[in-house]
Amino acid sequence: MRYTEFTPFDIVLLAQGLGVSVGLFLATTVIGLLIGTLWAVVRFYRVPVLAQVITFVAELLKNSPVLVQLFLVFFGFPAFFHINLGPVEAAVITLSGNTAAFVYVIAVSAIESIGRDQIEAARAFGLTKWQVLRHIIAPQAMAFAIGPLTGLLVNQLQVTSLISVIGVMDLTKIGNILNLRTLKPFIVWAVVGVLYYLAAKLIAFAGATLERRLRAHTAWKGL
Amino acid sequence: MIKAQSVRKVFGSVTVLDGVDLTVAPGEVVSILGSSGSGKSTLIRCINGLERLDGGSITVDDFDVSKPRELAEARKRSGTVFQMFNLYPHMTALQNVTLAPVEVLKRPKAEAEAEGRALLASVGLADRADAFPSQLSGGQRQRVGICRALAMKPRYLLLDEVTSALDPEMTADVLDILAKLAKEGTTMVFVTHEIEFARTISSRVVFLEKGRLVVDLPTEQFFAADGGLANPRIAQFLSKMRKD
Amino acid sequence: MRIDLSLLVPYLPFMLEGALLTAQVCVLALLGSLIVGALMAVARTSANSLLRRAASIYADLFRNVPFIVQLFFFYYGLPEIGIYIDAFTTGVVALSIAGGAFTSDVIRSGILAIEPGIIEAAQVSGLSKRKTFTKIVLPVALRTSVRPMGSVFINLILTSSILSTITLNELTGTAKIVASDTFKPFEVYVVLLIAYATLTYLVSLLIAALHRRLNRDLGEAVR
Repeated sequence: MRYTEFTPFDIVLLAQGLGVSVGLFLATTVIGLLIGTLWAVVRFYRVPVLAQVITFVAELLKNSPVLVQLFLVFFGFPAFFHINLGPVEAAVITLSGNTAAFVYVIAVSAIESIGRDQIEAARAFGLTKWQVLRHIIAPQAMAFAIGPLTGLLVNQLQVTSLISVIGVMDLTKIGNILNLRTLKPFIVWAVVGVLYYLAAKLIAFAGATLERRLRAHTAWKGL
Repeated sequence: MIKAQSVRKVFGSVTVLDGVDLTVAPGEVVSILGSSGSGKSTLIRCINGLERLDGGSITVDDFDVSKPRELAEARKRSGTVFQMFNLYPHMTALQNVTLAPVEVLKRPKAEAEAEGRALLASVGLADRADAFPSQLSGGQRQRVGICRALAMKPRYLLLDEVTSALDPEMTADVLDILAKLAKEGTTMVFVTHEIEFARTISSRVVFLEKGRLVVDLPTEQFFAADGGLANPRIAQFLSKMRKD
Repeated sequence: MRIDLSLLVPYLPFMLEGALLTAQVCVLALLGSLIVGALMAVARTSANSLLRRAASIYADLFRNVPFIVQLFFFYYGLPEIGIYIDAFTTGVVALSIAGGAFTSDVIRSGILAIEPGIIEAAQVSGLSKRKTFTKIVLPVALRTSVRPMGSVFINLILTSSILSTITLNELTGTAKIVASDTFKPFEVYVVLLIAYATLTYLVSLLIAALHRRLNRDLGEAVR
């Protein structure tokens, strides 16, 4: 490509990049939420060994750069386990694991906020473990966790930008391509930045709306 | 001379001070009495410029507190002691006392420190000069607060319910110091709930009610049956305070 | 599938150099963040509404745009306008600006948490606004900010790995080279992951100690 000017097609490119970023963000958020919550449940029931391993892994993931985790999965896993991993698969694995580690921490403190006495009381009434989890713990923990989770997701959206480094065609990668082609870094990166900013605000707005709904649902409505 | 003339102060829809006149001459000890919400503390906060006036004027030695440039001069002439002490938490007792003399009066540090130590010693805190506020008891903190105000050698000492946050034993310590200062001729304006104390040390008593200064009498007359006590509201207030 | 770390031993001095560069970048960026953050916190708590608005836009923008986008904006953009600085300086500047956004939040809440009576005491004793700020407000706010500043610093360390994408051979950059030299990406990145986690853990211990030391005199005033 020898074009140095912007073309209308660049808007399509940017839209595609944004689509990839948002798509991967949504997919890894769902997977991360499931895994992170599962980990928290394992810890809540104090499953021996497994609980300790999970805590250790979560700490490791929380306290190391996502870029390094990404390199480990993308370059390390294929070499060590002799498997084939494309950039997108590596991105999904890494981002899901990273999100899970943070979700785990939030979920643990959300469950702890409920208090074991309440749970023991419910058990005393003859509810099964599953019923306690479903009817007592989940709704309360959800209301507690939604605020911190929103903050986490706004952050995780930004983290997705790192997958451009291993070649995923996300918004940042498209920015790189446009930057090299047009040699107009200020415009390109400002536009890319604004798109990320708007997406972040959308997540924050959605989180706040959801929080209001949940709070309204759990609030005391009188008799 | 502190001169307050028709002072008005409004918070939202509430008129806290409603045309208050008060004059304090050098050497006087004036107590401001009144039930809570009568505007006593607000009056003090107007004199040291912490609240903006909504009407009337206040001058301290002819410096108008509502003019920013003159307020600085007025503040040099008055020292304030607060109910909640408000000590600087990151400074030792001595640093609390010497900060303003060094920074505002540009006194040499060594000199200010020597004076600060002497002041602290005079209130029985010689050995606590290097302690931080969190390491002091409430009574000790308030004594530091008094020293901090005195270190600026103010002509007027403004005291805003300085014993309200203290338990009785510590209250006695602080009141002793104030009595000593009164005897030495320090001009003081204080808001208090300690009726008996006000009676013993003040030369004049003023009574505020709903933002109005309703009585301003020499102490003896204020507490006399045919003086202030003849006013049923004052009699009621005093008997209520004494019961508490 | 056996982990053999002996292969990495000859590369240790090289990676240590990278680690040293990471340390330099992070310490400089911490200082930069503190300066930028303190100035922005002053602006955000000032009486001038224009200044307040501008500073909160800055904080909002730089917290909601991915760091890699900000970094590319500076790295590719600055030469466009005739400013030629090396990757090291660019990295420090970008980290300081991004870190400053978070730091301004921390210091701002430190300022807002100060007992108003303490500031009033300084005012009535005749201290000028500037003196009141530098002698009372800022020192008290900074002391209470040690712990949250610690999280900002740890994030700074993790984020600094992204500087490897602009050719800076800090810790992650050197690891990339070692990984491709040895054909042992898995081992290299596992070691790197643990190195970062250990580093941030040590920093967090240091911060806790500093917090205790600085606040031993503050007692209940900070709580």
